[in-house]
Amino acid sequence: MRASYVIRPGAAPPAAVPPQAAFSSFEEFFRAHYPAVVRIAASVVGDSQAAQDVAQDVFIAALRRFPDPDRCGHAAGWVRAAAAHTGLNAIRAERRRDRRQQLSGVAAAPLSPEETVLDSESRTEVRQALGRLPRRSAAVLVLRHSGLSYAEVAEAMNVKVGHVGTMLRRAESALRKELQR
Amino acid sequence: MSHVSSPVLRRLHDEPRAVPDSAQAHLAGCSRCQARHTTIRQDARMAARLLTAPPVTADPDLAWERLQARLRAPRPGTVAARVGRPRRMTRLSLGTGTLVTAGVVLAGAGAAAALSTVYTPTHVAPVPVSRGDLRALSSISQIGLGQLGGGLPPSGVRQLPFGTLSWTSAGPAETVTSLAQARAQTHLPVTGPASLPSGVGSLPRVMVQPKLTVTIRFSREAGGAVGGSTLVVSAGPGVVAQYGSSSGSSRLTTLVIAAVQRPVATSAGATARQLEAFLLSRPGLPASLAQEIRMLGTTALPVPVPPGMTGRHITVGGSPAVLLTGSAVATGVVWEDSHGVVHGVGGLLNQTDILHVARQIG
Repeated sequence: MRASYVIRPGAAPPAAVPPQAAFSSFEEFFRAHYPAVVRIAASVVGDSQAAQDVAQDVFIAALRRFPDPDRCGHAAGWVRAAAAHTGLNAIRAERRRDRRQQLSGVAAAPLSPEETVLDSESRTEVRQALGRLPRRSAAVLVLRHSGLSYAEVAEAMNVKVGHVGTMLRRAESALRKELQR
Repeated sequence: MSHVSSPVLRRLHDEPRAVPDSAQAHLAGCSRCQARHTTIRQDARMAARLLTAPPVTADPDLAWERLQARLRAPRPGTVAARVGRPRRMTRLSLGTGTLVTAGVVLAGAGAAAALSTVYTPTHVAPVPVSRGDLRALSSISQIGLGQLGGGLPPSGVRQLPFGTLSWTSAGPAETVTSLAQARAQTHLPVTGPASLPSGVGSLPRVMVQPKLTVTIRFSREAGGAVGGSTLVVSAGPGVVAQYGSSSGSSRLTTLVIAAVQRPVATSAGATARQLEAFLLSRPGLPASLAQEIRMLGTTALPVPVPPGMTGRHITVGGSPAVLLTGSAVATGVVWEDSHGVVHGVGGLLNQTDILHVARQIG
């Protein structure tokens, strides 16, 4: 069964803090995987602070799902995938907000030729392109290019290792086409 | 052997040992596969370059404290709704956030504080402060007023009578080439006015201040529930655009436009009510200022009004704003937009010109 990675931004925290023993276990899990989760989120949202906000949402959701992560073999893969998906949610929300601002007449000042060159391959454009890709394509790109091995990507995406190359190839080709549009 | 599949060619780029020798042998002698491999490799390299994560400053200790604070925070609409006072917690939290970062606002940096989990300000409100108030805030925070004006290093620690105050920034403030670059770096909707008042130069000097996190770790000696707790306030990022004069002098700043993301504050170990009561009862804090802070209302973001100036309620772009006037030369206006971004416009201009600029960007 495919794992679900839906995390709603701003969702309410768990009803109660888990018992102390389980909480200690979760703290160890948190400390072990927090840097990787922030790194994955940063490669999506392009900003260290925003990535840390994403990581908070991911671990809040993880605590609800795996209060005792030691007993769950796929918790590490889950938080990595959730970091990618939550980051993608964030940049899609940003796109929607930008669209609303344009509709309401709050358009950005036009860029000068020099600024256009400076921004041509900026993180903003890359994030926008990522946001237009199919969700799983964007996630596989982010996971692989944040340093996960094929086996780790496969675990996080809940697919066979042999399928990662296929997904990655399609996603990279799609990213290039998005950036060339 | 048939041609090597694209997924295998892709994996060859990353994990060549995982690819069978037979595939590699075929590739060595097949120009068609070599051409495909070149394209695949180019796409992979481009993606790797574009998706490399920016430098990340992740502090697991701080992050764990923040997580715990979120877990312990009351859920909106549960406890408060049950007791029939849905806005009580937000009002009580206001003073805490105000006190912790009032100095930053006073210094005109456009920043202010909020407790995001229990308090989300929706509009600005003026708070008159005297020189004595400023000195008291400076004394309590152990940070000089000059430093609050922008001279803080990216990180630092101050010992307080009741604990430790530390701050860290995601990086040093830096000058960027344009407002467009500042927008790209901070995601703040900061724009320059299409039409500038006479006397104002057209090219601003643009500074970006990364997100700043201030942490107060209360010592056990602070007593009660506050003793041993932690308060974390994050503010920013922010953008400041300084315009020189139209005569070409970059030394004279005639107009400043600032935008900063509404701050976030969380507490681990103490409630907002406990923190407010503790901070507003610190020796040296004038009773009148403490009372002003308490009376601000439920969702107001305080804008301190310095001595010699008056703060007046107006609107900018449909949002409540505070117009600061009365100084011989300087005027300013501050407002919070509907996306939680606090904007400020100020300078050596008259009220009409300042409002003209504010209403173009608001």
